[in-house]
Amino acid sequence: MDIDVLREKWVEQDRKLDESIHMNGRLLTMANMNRTQPPLRRFALLAGLGTLLGLMFLIILGGFIYKHWAEPRFALPAIALHVWVIAYVVTSIRQMVAAFQIHFDQPVTAVQKQIESLRMMRLRVLRWALLTGQLVWWIPLLIVALKEFWDVDAYRILGPGFLIANLGFGVVIIPAAVWASNKFGERMGRRPAMQRLMRELAGYNLRAASRYLATLNEFEYETRA
Amino acid sequence: MTDSDVPATFQNQIEQHKKILYKVCNAYCRDRESREDLAQEITFQLWRSYGKFDGRRCTFSTWMYRIALNIAISFYRSEGVRTRHVIPGEQFLMESVADTERPSDEVRLLYEFIEELDPFSKAFVLLYLDGNTYPEIANIIGLSETNVATKISRLKSRMKQEAGTKNT
Repeated sequence: MDIDVLREKWVEQDRKLDESIHMNGRLLTMANMNRTQPPLRRFALLAGLGTLLGLMFLIILGGFIYKHWAEPRFALPAIALHVWVIAYVVTSIRQMVAAFQIHFDQPVTAVQKQIESLRMMRLRVLRWALLTGQLVWWIPLLIVALKEFWDVDAYRILGPGFLIANLGFGVVIIPAAVWASNKFGERMGRRPAMQRLMRELAGYNLRAASRYLATLNEFEYETRA
Repeated sequence: MTDSDVPATFQNQIEQHKKILYKVCNAYCRDRESREDLAQEITFQLWRSYGKFDGRRCTFSTWMYRIALNIAISFYRSEGVRTRHVIPGEQFLMESVADTERPSDEVRLLYEFIEELDPFSKAFVLLYLDGNTYPEIANIIGLSETNVATKISRLKSRMKQEAGTKNT
């Protein structure tokens, strides 16, 4: 089987295609094409929305920190939340910028590398948010929210024992979650949402993206050899 | 070109190059639903990028190949989009009599070979079969001409080897 011989047959079929393909002209019009957003644009908009929400949180937390600066027991949990939200906003902006920089009319290898790098960035952020989120989004948030919205002192009503135990649980749950997702992630086939979460925690998708990026680089290198 | 000219000009250009759309969709998707989904995604992206098309920098076909292949490779790799129609309803963007016709054994063999390739090699074979020159392929894929020549030569050898294995 010689590709150059088959190429002639391909060209023959090509001639017939001109007559046999019919495009639906009406569906090609702008009105129909504008009904939806492409996945990358949607992703960028979601990242933008996340950034806005994050900025709102930063303002509220900033006010809280300023108000309770002299009380470290309230200021410290708020600072922890603040740092987490700053990191989240920065990564959201980076993702948004990266998504807007992808132009599909650029050469294939360049675009595919950009898309995969963005995917890796998104997966890293998601994994990081899932793992560290449980540290700040439980006890520190509880302390800050009770104080800010109801003027309740969480240390007094819940007791330091409860708070320390829960914080400790948050620290322990991180390695436990990674271990469980690595061990059981593949067996959760019947629950797609749970499987997706476990795969993200275990870093399967991140590793797959990394492999693909390596394949892309190899692909360029291979042809140079 | 005024805004009101865009849809007609765009439609004309797509009509002239519809074979690219058809062949890319056929190379990357096996069933008709997926092919239609992909055709819609590609056409949508072509339309979105059309304003930036500069005929002095590259030909329309090079530009269209880049977008079509980029979308097809991403589509091929993504999960969960296979059943999503960009344009709702039962209307099809691309209809072909060729779908109901039985292709010649040689063309069928070529499609079988293409189907087994990774998404990048698919792009190379498709561009080569469509009569693009090495500089054109290099421009679309983003590699040097030497790299393209090496890659195509390897694909040719692979094809011969696979045909030999099938015959024995």
